[in-house]
Amino acid sequence: MTQVEQSARAEAETSKSMQKAEVRLRDDTWWYGPVAMALFLVFWEVGVRVGNVPEVFLPRPSLVVVTLYELFAYKQLAYDLVVTLYRIFGGFVLAAIIGIGLGLLMGMSRRIYAICDIFIAAIYPVPKIALLPLLVIWLGTGNAFQIALSALGCIFPILINTIIGVRQCDEGLILAARDLGATQLQIQRKVVLPAAVPAIFGGLRLALGISIILVVAAEMQTARYGLGAKLQLAGQVLETGQVFAILLLLAVMGIALTKAQDRIGNIVDRWRAR
Amino acid sequence: MQFEAISIEGLSHRFLSKNRSPTVALNDVSAQFPAGKVTSIVGPSGCGKSTLLLIMRGLVEATDGKVRFLYGNGSGKLTAGAAPRMATVWQSFNLLPWRTVIDNVAFGLELQGVPVAERRERAISAIKAVDLAGFEQHYPGQLSGGMKQRVGLARGIVMSPDILFLDEPFGALDAQTRLYLQEQLAELVERSAKTVILITHSIEEAIFLGDRVVVMTARPGKIAATLDIDLPRPRSFEVQKEKAFGDLFSEIYGLLRDEVRKSMLS
Ligand SMILES: Nc1ncnc2c1ncn2[C@@H]1O[C@H](COP(=O)(O)OP(=O)(O)OP(=O)(O)O)[C@@H](O)[C@H]1O
Ligand SMILES: [Mg+2]
Repeated sequence: MTQVEQSARAEAETSKSMQKAEVRLRDDTWWYGPVAMALFLVFWEVGVRVGNVPEVFLPRPSLVVVTLYELFAYKQLAYDLVVTLYRIFGGFVLAAIIGIGLGLLMGMSRRIYAICDIFIAAIYPVPKIALLPLLVIWLGTGNAFQIALSALGCIFPILINTIIGVRQCDEGLILAARDLGATQLQIQRKVVLPAAVPAIFGGLRLALGISIILVVAAEMQTARYGLGAKLQLAGQVLETGQVFAILLLLAVMGIALTKAQDRIGNIVDRWRAR
Repeated sequence: MQFEAISIEGLSHRFLSKNRSPTVALNDVSAQFPAGKVTSIVGPSGCGKSTLLLIMRGLVEATDGKVRFLYGNGSGKLTAGAAPRMATVWQSFNLLPWRTVIDNVAFGLELQGVPVAERRERAISAIKAVDLAGFEQHYPGQLSGGMKQRVGLARGIVMSPDILFLDEPFGALDAQTRLYLQEQLAELVERSAKTVILITHSIEEAIFLGDRVVVMTARPGKIAATLDIDLPRPRSFEVQKEKAFGDLFSEIYGLLRDEVRKSMLS
């Protein structure tokens, strides 16, 4: 290893440990949640054994974990997981691109807002799952349908939050930028957009949750593959262990996605300064 | 071409609102702001000082009246011309909360496309000038009110403008820091002969820093009086003990007292 590489690595390590120290400074309650969860699982396990609850009604957590392993090992659950994630993120990303883009335009231009507002008011309150029959007629029951449904559900929180974020930008900040000679484009790029970032991110957060809900629900209705489809199937044949195993997988997926969003949120915060 | 002065003629401004009758903020204001001099503006709260600043700065269009920037062409005559370089220090700071102190101070330079290294250097020296060295990487949310105000000050002076607009620039500061920065500003003005428009609530500050004091009436704001301050420069805070200073203070306070009473009664 060269001298430069070594010092670069040393630097990276110190900055990493500094970050850790900061996190610790802020958050010394991080273990409360996991411990509470562990206690809950222990009570569940013991309660089921002691109370002799029938397995088809409520399986033990340890059995759920074993079932989950078996589903992955012998029933290709990994494929279903990938299919579901693909649909969730396909719709989410599509909605994010359209929602943020259109939201910025609508927030910045009163004309565009006036044109689009009525469409949004009309479509927003429709329960997205009610569009299921229509979407199936148009797109079939494959991935295109799932992604379209998810995108329809995701787009509104993203769009609305983006508009609010742009609108609530402090007038004084725009005046200050104009005073310093900012062009219209610079104001949008360096003041309005960064000021809207927290609101946009809030919208993305809501949207991802909605996407998971819609995709799993739609899979339960129409799909052959995907976690929702497998969940439905397991329920129909009273495989309660499998039902719980898939629910467990969904829960873990939810936690992983939320944590990933936290991380991305921190990165975006740093980007705002540019 | 040498920049000479700002001249405002017959400025009136009304703020319209949907469900209230319009607020008349300014009513037929005319004044001259000489170049290379400090003109202080004092007046009761809500009389339209900040509005006047926004109009002169070109950020709000007046309902009525004109703002002209005058240039000398060497023959002693003044002609109207393009706007000189200007910067504003805001009463409410208006710092970008997601930028560090140094990035806030360098914001104007960044907008103008000044190279990174140069703007960094200039920002750091401006931050030093307002006594904030060591806080370059802090965010506005981590600073006290007075510190934010000084960041705003640094963001203005780093642009080295021809005209500096200051709206209550020392309002959030403790008495010592205030005095210290007033002296710094007096020195800066005397050294660089900048044109400064200073809005303040402090009569002492208006006199101490000003070559001229414009006293405004209660809303709707008009010009009540314009006083020339002939105290010798360079000035230190000691000048406040002189009799001439006390006389000016009494005169301005006399004018303001009536206006404040009016604004309380209305
Ligand atoms: N954007 C606005 N919309 C409507 N009315 C406004 C607006 N800005 C100011 N006003 C009104 O105009 C008047 C003058 O306001 P301005 O901010 O210029 O006062 P000021 O002299 O700077 O007061 P202060 O000394 O308290 O800062 C006030 O009565 C205020 O209510
Ligand atoms: Mg004001």
